[in-house]
Amino acid sequence: MGQYIVRRLLQSVIVILGVTLLSFLTLHLAGDPTYLYVSERASQEEIEATRKLLGFDRPLPVQYLSFLQGLVRGDLGMSIRSRKPAVDLVLERLPATLELTLFAMIISTTIALPIGILAATKRGTGWDGGIMLLAMFGQSMPSFWLGIMLLLSVGLQLRLLPISGHVPVLAPMLRGDISEGLSNLPNALRYLVMPGVTIGLFSLARNARLVRSSMLEVLAQDYVTTARSKGLGERTVILKHAFRNALIPVVTMLGLEFGFLLSGVVVTETVFSWPGVGRLVTNAITQRDIPVVQASVVLFSFLFVSLNLLVDLIYAQLDPRIRLA
Amino acid sequence: MFRSRLLLLVLLIGALLPLTVAAQMPDENTLIIAQSVDVGALDPASVNSRAEANIFFHVFGTLFEIGDDGALRPYLAKEYSVSEDGKEWTFTLNEGLTCHDGEPLTAEDVAYSFERAADPANAFTGNTAGFVLPGIGYQGMRVDGDLQVTVLTDRYQTPNLRLALISEVYIHCKDSYSSKSLEEAGQNPIGSGPYRFVEWIPDDRIVLEAVEGYTLRPTNFKTQIWRVIPEASTRVAELIAGNVDVIANVPPDQIEAINNSGVATVQAVAGTRRIYVGFQFGENFKDAPGYDALQKTEVRVALQYAVDVPTICQTLLGTTCKRASSMVNPPNDNPNLEPYPYDPAKAEELLDAAGYPRNADGVRFETVLMGPRGRYLNDANVVQAIAQYLTDVGVKTTVDIRDWAEYRTLVGPKEIGPLFFLGTGGGTWSALYDMADLSAPNAGTNYTNWNNEEWFKLWNSLADIRDLDQEREVINQMLEIFYNDPPWLLLYFQPDFYGVSNRLDWNARRDEWIVIYNAKLK
Repeated sequence: MGQYIVRRLLQSVIVILGVTLLSFLTLHLAGDPTYLYVSERASQEEIEATRKLLGFDRPLPVQYLSFLQGLVRGDLGMSIRSRKPAVDLVLERLPATLELTLFAMIISTTIALPIGILAATKRGTGWDGGIMLLAMFGQSMPSFWLGIMLLLSVGLQLRLLPISGHVPVLAPMLRGDISEGLSNLPNALRYLVMPGVTIGLFSLARNARLVRSSMLEVLAQDYVTTARSKGLGERTVILKHAFRNALIPVVTMLGLEFGFLLSGVVVTETVFSWPGVGRLVTNAITQRDIPVVQASVVLFSFLFVSLNLLVDLIYAQLDPRIRLA
Repeated sequence: MFRSRLLLLVLLIGALLPLTVAAQMPDENTLIIAQSVDVGALDPASVNSRAEANIFFHVFGTLFEIGDDGALRPYLAKEYSVSEDGKEWTFTLNEGLTCHDGEPLTAEDVAYSFERAADPANAFTGNTAGFVLPGIGYQGMRVDGDLQVTVLTDRYQTPNLRLALISEVYIHCKDSYSSKSLEEAGQNPIGSGPYRFVEWIPDDRIVLEAVEGYTLRPTNFKTQIWRVIPEASTRVAELIAGNVDVIANVPPDQIEAINNSGVATVQAVAGTRRIYVGFQFGENFKDAPGYDALQKTEVRVALQYAVDVPTICQTLLGTTCKRASSMVNPPNDNPNLEPYPYDPAKAEELLDAAGYPRNADGVRFETVLMGPRGRYLNDANVVQAIAQYLTDVGVKTTVDIRDWAEYRTLVGPKEIGPLFFLGTGGGTWSALYDMADLSAPNAGTNYTNWNNEEWFKLWNSLADIRDLDQEREVINQMLEIFYNDPPWLLLYFQPDFYGVSNRLDWNARRDEWIVIYNAKLK
């Protein structure tokens, strides 16, 4: 197991380096970023001075190596725009994005599991048809459209929830102010509902379909028939025998889910004015604030890779037949 | 039992919901403004965009203030005088000025504000260091007394232009900034304007609080909250819900919804940003389709008649607009020049005469029109419309649209053409400010690489003209040259739309500034 973890961690380093190289090249190939940091009326001398100042006059391999040297030291550079350490900027915004992502995961999982099981156990009935129809709708709706529709109907017309904005919970807690975080929680939930549903609905629908198909497969297994023939109650058969085995593909999906939801926050954070990493990265890309983009890429890659490793470990725990080697 | 508990829960939630929603609405002491972008940092020398400047202008005073009519009004300084050679500008400050931390604001602080922005060691790339100081030929500062300070420059410049540029430099106290690192200074601004900084939650809001006893400008609201709402539909929804008082950049297709809401109305102003299609003269485009044809003055004049600008405004920008007759904003433009009318028959006639008749396939020549997406009002659609108008008169035009972030990096090194769509900021206070785009054949903003000898000869002659009437004459002459040998396909001054709550008495300005200290409840 230990050897497996070490090997996976080494693979992760290669993945992270590959991702940073790709993003670095993409940002530079899209034009000289210097022009985004000079006035429209800047002279050629001023443009050249700024290029030198920002280090964009150096050859690309030198710039990338310089970034790697910093990375090894844990220094991801300073934001060109705000003159703060890039990693600090990302970490400042991360709690807001985590709140949104975790909330979306919670609703997508807690609702998907029971309705997926319900659809499987009531296969061919109106329940099954209705749930699958809704799941299809959930997967078909683009998140930017859903977000704006929710905002206009629930926020503006019905005035049930705030239209946009954010009340922090994790950030004060991470600062050590647990009581502020907790006191913010009720109001924060009101701000979370619409953006959370917007990014979580697609996953909810997909997970519900996955749970259903996984359950159907397990329910057809011999050991389930045996359990039933032993006279066990249907509830026990489903929850104790079938559900645990049906969970394996779902857990695999949940690991990828986090990365999927993180990528989905970019649009949702923009629609709901949510001050998270998604918007930070979007702005940084637009402004070619390369250190901030790179810091976000490193952090997100690290999170994604770590979660996948965690999922693999859980996978082995759920199914003793699986051996990690 | 379960049902009754559920009903109770639903009722409880229902009762609490409106309370919380109502809690975010602005009260009579609070003014909430929503813009699409956040500030990058809170250092006055780092201000780069209009959205940033709008906030900083309320936190920091300036020596003079550019009024909404283009007039320049005393602010921190009560008067100024100019040396005989026009190179030294001496300002006399009002007495008893202080910064927000209580430190007295004197001439030494004004000098420090300029010097700090200009110091290469600080490496500022904001508007002051990158545009204003080079623009005035800044050489340094001289403190002439407690309340007298002189800006030293290397050349004469027409007074309105120089004063307007100097009025963009934010003034702060020396002690509160010299003791801080750049990072610290960028987090906690200590200003000299009517509002003090309270809080910045990045990408969410900036909160300002009125400075008690501030007499130079009114502070009708105790608190200003500048929210960041990037999505236009969300800004509109917040305005209609009554949660914000002013929003910028209303999309034309949502004007009606706001006006019908009974809560807010849209104020449309003819902005000062000049929108045009540039004809590229740069040699690096000589192999590009249509390049040779576009070098001919007759062809460029002919194309002016091919585009129906009023219809573009009406259908794509949601408002009526008058076509530009030059690169200068009214009322500083040449009153004798009439905008080119839409007359496709005349365009065709002139193209025939220029030696570009229609071929058998109906095409005179082919070209490419480059344009941005996401920078100017409905830009990509306007580009498509212009290309179609040109194609209609036989100039088969292909569009090449890029996202603004990429397009901007092509604009700087002038790698756009042979036709390109662009907008550049202008002002209401001086024709020369608008004309400075073409200050030299190799000027950074001469994106077309236009090189009309007569124009640049006259531009250089302006440096020796002190008489304002004579200056006006030369300007009019230059604008005629521009009109008759156009480097731009003249379009319009970009209209700007602001959504304004009906509870507010405030008028939007033409120059994209949101100056709102004077707003009050109706």
